Amino acid sequence: MPEKDLETSGGWGISSLGFDSTGILRLEWARGVVIDAPNAQFAMDRVNELCGGRPTPLLIDMATTDSVSRAARAVFAKRCDASAIALLGSSAVDRVLANFFLGVNSAPVPTRFFTDSNEAVSWLTSQGHDGA
Amino acid sequence: MTGRDDDRRLEELVDGIVVLSSGDLSNRLQVSPARDGIDAVTTGINLLAEELQSMYEDLEVRVAERTALLEAAKAELRRVINTDELTGLASRSLLQEKVAEAVAGAGAARQPALILLDLDSFRLINDSLGHAAGDAVLREAALRLVAAAGAGHLIARLSGDEFAVLVVDQEPDAVLQIASRLGESLKDRIVAGGVAVALTAGTGVRLGEPGLRSEELIRDADIAMHEAKKRGRDTLLVFSAAMHEAAKQRVHLVAELRTALATNELELEYQPIMDLRTGTIAGAEALIRWRHPNLGLLAPDTFLEAADEAGLTVEIGHWVLAKAIAQTGLWKADPGLPADFSTHINLSPADLHHVDLAPYVESLLARHGVEPCHVSIEITETAIMRGGPEVAATMQSLNDLGVRIEIDDFGTGYSSISYLRTLPAAQAKIDKSLLDGLTTDRQQETFVAAILQLIHSAGLGAVAEGIEEREQAERLRQLNCEFGQGYYFSRPLSVADMTDLLAHRDGAAA
Repeated sequence: MPEKDLETSGGWGISSLGFDSTGILRLEWARGVVIDAPNAQFAMDRVNELCGGRPTPLLIDMATTDSVSRAARAVFAKRCDASAIALLGSSAVDRVLANFFLGVNSAPVPTRFFTDSNEAVSWLTSQGHDGA
Repeated sequence: MTGRDDDRRLEELVDGIVVLSSGDLSNRLQVSPARDGIDAVTTGINLLAEELQSMYEDLEVRVAERTALLEAAKAELRRVINTDELTGLASRSLLQEKVAEAVAGAGAARQPALILLDLDSFRLINDSLGHAAGDAVLREAALRLVAAAGAGHLIARLSGDEFAVLVVDQEPDAVLQIASRLGESLKDRIVAGGVAVALTAGTGVRLGEPGLRSEELIRDADIAMHEAKKRGRDTLLVFSAAMHEAAKQRVHLVAELRTALATNELELEYQPIMDLRTGTIAGAEALIRWRHPNLGLLAPDTFLEAADEAGLTVEIGHWVLAKAIAQTGLWKADPGLPADFSTHINLSPADLHHVDLAPYVESLLARHGVEPCHVSIEITETAIMRGGPEVAATMQSLNDLGVRIEIDDFGTGYSSISYLRTLPAAQAKIDKSLLDGLTTDRQQETFVAAILQLIHSAGLGAVAEGIEEREQAERLRQLNCEFGQGYYFSRPLSVADMTDLLAHRDGAAA
């Protein structure tokens, strides 16, 4: 069993959240996290904070997320400042979760699921950042 | 993972799906740390189950809300149907339901009785005080009836000013006491529209009877009430079988009357009116008869009420006018009419309210070549006094045509003497009741003399009807009554006999 790492900067199941060198905002959920409405809301708020009102490409690493509740998915469907979202997973389970997110609650911005980090980054870059 | 592990996991997966499909949407399946293809399917199924569960719960909530709304709406509808909105009393439909229940449930015990009340002259209250005041009166009346009836008896407002009380499990005496109390309770003055109103009602009672159906109970109470209303204000009547017979006959008569009008079963007889001074014929009163196929020749008092109920009064009135004026035209041609002869035609209040009366009469006169002076319209004193400006206007327009107006049943109404002088009438016919005791009772003779004097001083001529003896005719002539009519001179005659009379009168051409 992998260790459940729930200690984060800011808490709430987030492993890390910050900009990388290419200007992409990366959100990494802790392994085995159960994403429900409260932590989903928290993550959204923090993301919007960091975007500072400017549309920003967002990469969410959700590999080995345990589950995403319906309520959480509703939170994600709300307007956020990301210009495009790449969901990074590593397994077929991740793909199912991600597709539920994409299909059942339609996201407000272009969103795609990847298992390869480089592909994710180049897609995000190709989406362009407004003002970048 | 070995193939056998996979088989086992797939089996567990299928088990989980079976549980979900049995209706337990809360079941969730385990995902292994491998997060492989089977786990992906498992995750998908868990997510689907969550969706379904959520939607199902939403649906249940909505269904519960809708059901509650529906129940509330049904209850409200039932309340509206069963309640009279103005007074809060039961409605007619609830009463019918309860009567049926009471009749069905009575069995050997005391039968339910029904009391119907119809307020006297309520329309007058509404018309003179306005509907708001009228409504207030009805609400107050409802309260009083409820108080008077006592607990346990259903009170309903059927319509307009009609109320019903269903009395259960009481002896007939008690029922009549209640009925009487109900009527009395209305009599204390009610203040509405700034006026104190005194109510009375016509009351019909139908006592219960084993084997009596609920529709019959209601119908009979209604018949009794109508009978009570006919007798006057503040009257209470208990239903009798005779009333039922009479009601049935009336219904028959009404139906047959419509046919009668269409198939010439109606005819006119003419009763001669004599000039008492000269002993010659001065006119004839047209009297309507119905030659009924089974009942023979019927006089008006047997069927004019039915005519009223059928709404045929005006039609019949028009028919009489047409027939009588046509006949007058025929007599004029052959054997000819005395110069001052007039055919007297009775008109009802309904006829007088008809706007086209004068033009209709005018067209008839023209069509049959009859001069207006040969037609006299008889209108009862009561009809004139109750008629108001419309009737006065009609009388005036008839008068303007040259047709003469005669006030019928004079001395029985409530005319104001000064009004008498203003009426466009030519004659007044004193009611036959005034001739009782004319020749034997000094008082009566003086009284009749005074009435004749009154008529003359108002500028009208006088006609006395119902003369049955020579002494009466003599006395009237002495008292200066100009004209007379009655069995002493002649009973009402057929057209043929009347024609004969005209042909053989003194001074006639034949």
